[in-house]
Amino acid sequence: MALLYPIPFERSGYIYYETVGFLVLLNAMLGIGWNIIGGWAGQFDFGPSIFFAIGAYTAALLSIHLGWNAWLGLLGAVAVSVVICAALTYPVTRLRGHYFAIATVAMWMIAQPIGATWPFINGSQGLFIPVAPGGSFAHGLLTMEFPGRGKGLGFYYLALLLFVLTLVGARAVERSKWGFYFRAVRDDQDGAEGIGIDSRLYKVIARCLMAAVFAAGGTLYGFWALAVFPDQVLEVNWNILPMMAAVVGGLGRLWGPVLGAVILIPISQLMTATLGAGPLAGRGIDLIIYGAVIMLIAGGRPNGLLSLPWARWAARVLGRAPARPQQG
Amino acid sequence: MAPLLQVESCTKRFGGLVANRDVSLAIEPREIVGLIGPNGAGKTTLFNCITGALHPDEGRIVLNGTDISRARPERVCRLGIARTWQVVRSFGRMTVLENVICGALRRTSRVGPARARALELLAFTGLAGKEDVEAASLTLADKKRLEITRALATGPSLLLLDEAMSGLTPLETAAAVELVRRIHGELGLAICVVEHVMEVVMPLSHRVVVLDHGEKLTEGPPADVSRDERVITAYLGERYRGRA
Repeated sequence: MALLYPIPFERSGYIYYETVGFLVLLNAMLGIGWNIIGGWAGQFDFGPSIFFAIGAYTAALLSIHLGWNAWLGLLGAVAVSVVICAALTYPVTRLRGHYFAIATVAMWMIAQPIGATWPFINGSQGLFIPVAPGGSFAHGLLTMEFPGRGKGLGFYYLALLLFVLTLVGARAVERSKWGFYFRAVRDDQDGAEGIGIDSRLYKVIARCLMAAVFAAGGTLYGFWALAVFPDQVLEVNWNILPMMAAVVGGLGRLWGPVLGAVILIPISQLMTATLGAGPLAGRGIDLIIYGAVIMLIAGGRPNGLLSLPWARWAARVLGRAPARPQQG
Repeated sequence: MAPLLQVESCTKRFGGLVANRDVSLAIEPREIVGLIGPNGAGKTTLFNCITGALHPDEGRIVLNGTDISRARPERVCRLGIARTWQVVRSFGRMTVLENVICGALRRTSRVGPARARALELLAFTGLAGKEDVEAASLTLADKKRLEITRALATGPSLLLLDEAMSGLTPLETAAAVELVRRIHGELGLAICVVEHVMEVVMPLSHRVVVLDHGEKLTEGPPADVSRDERVITAYLGERYRGRA
């Protein structure tokens, strides 16, 4: 279904809906990344966008100065981002709970003036990624450059590919030693250390995995926007949306952020597109309704939509005898 | 034979309060040592120093010839000491099996073998059939049992049990004592128990160490310790005189 989604829009020319699909996949992917540190390791990171920015900048710089292919640039972006994340995160893993969260916000606040003033990355004037003219659709997929029509479709499939890779990777992590150790640290850090788990090391690993996903997402976004501006890649939405996708869908569940992104992003996009214009334009009605939807879900189902008894409901709808809830 | 664990003149202060003063004790392989004393005697502080949650201000702690006075908890565990906590620290949102797998991953980094080992140990400790229950929803007795199982899964040579039986009904306590005996008998571990229930400590221990006001009052076989005038005055009370 995800593979076929953009076809009707491509044929009818509603490219905008391909962009919505692109943003859903991008945020679902970032949400899966955020879920590793926030959902499994239980450390709320409110400033993941710095790794999104590092990824976007690294790939852009490699492309502009060294002429690197976007995919090579993506690997470079992931590597740089992971190294910086490890160096930044290790000192703050002494902190627990709210204090860790505050430290991540502080990092993001420090990143903003650096992004706006550092000459190497051209400060607030940003970087522009040059695109070679011509080239086929396949060539575009290999270079992330789509000079003509087909950009919407191309980036939709690029995002789908990265999303699937992230999902498969996260699934492997969840079932590995790391996945067990992350959740052990989340549930009881002292207990985890008592059975030989180095909690600081595993917090760093979890955040570096998140940083890798955000760097890949940032690279994709940079080549999609063809430019990297500090206020765009460090925008608060890159912190908030992946986190909200995870929380609304189901924190600590593999598919939680995916469901969350599928629900939240289209609402946000369509509401901005429809209510953002017309008589009510500029009054933020779209944001108010958007916020109300989130409050409704968060208030009604704090453990996320995936925590609802879907299996039992499905059985009832299909006319079978309802499965009895398991006695603990 | 050299002792498995040697605590040498260990002192730990919290500001002006001396929680452990010049405490020395040794634990031999395959020995069960009871650590008793009134509330605030420094039993848990000593446990915390041994397991690396705290570090002694003076003195040394040596495990199998390795100085672990400054080691962090995860390293102490790797060197062969596993512990349980007075307040249970099970991983509440994980299942019973997953809890024990976390412990077993100390010995192997692959989840498959760790799962197999965890299932064996759950059968050994009597939690078979509850593998898929979320740890938070267990009874207190089962939570304590789960913590012991998880600790065993790390493959320790010394097991420290901090009030593993407090808060249990008499029936549950008896079952827990039986489990400690089987761990000692079948797995051959050295065990140190902190416990307030004298009916548990005295018959179980080979040797009893008494702490009072942070200092070691005496140590010896349970029968001798329970007749010691100082121990009766400081801790056991007249009620216990002549028993055990």
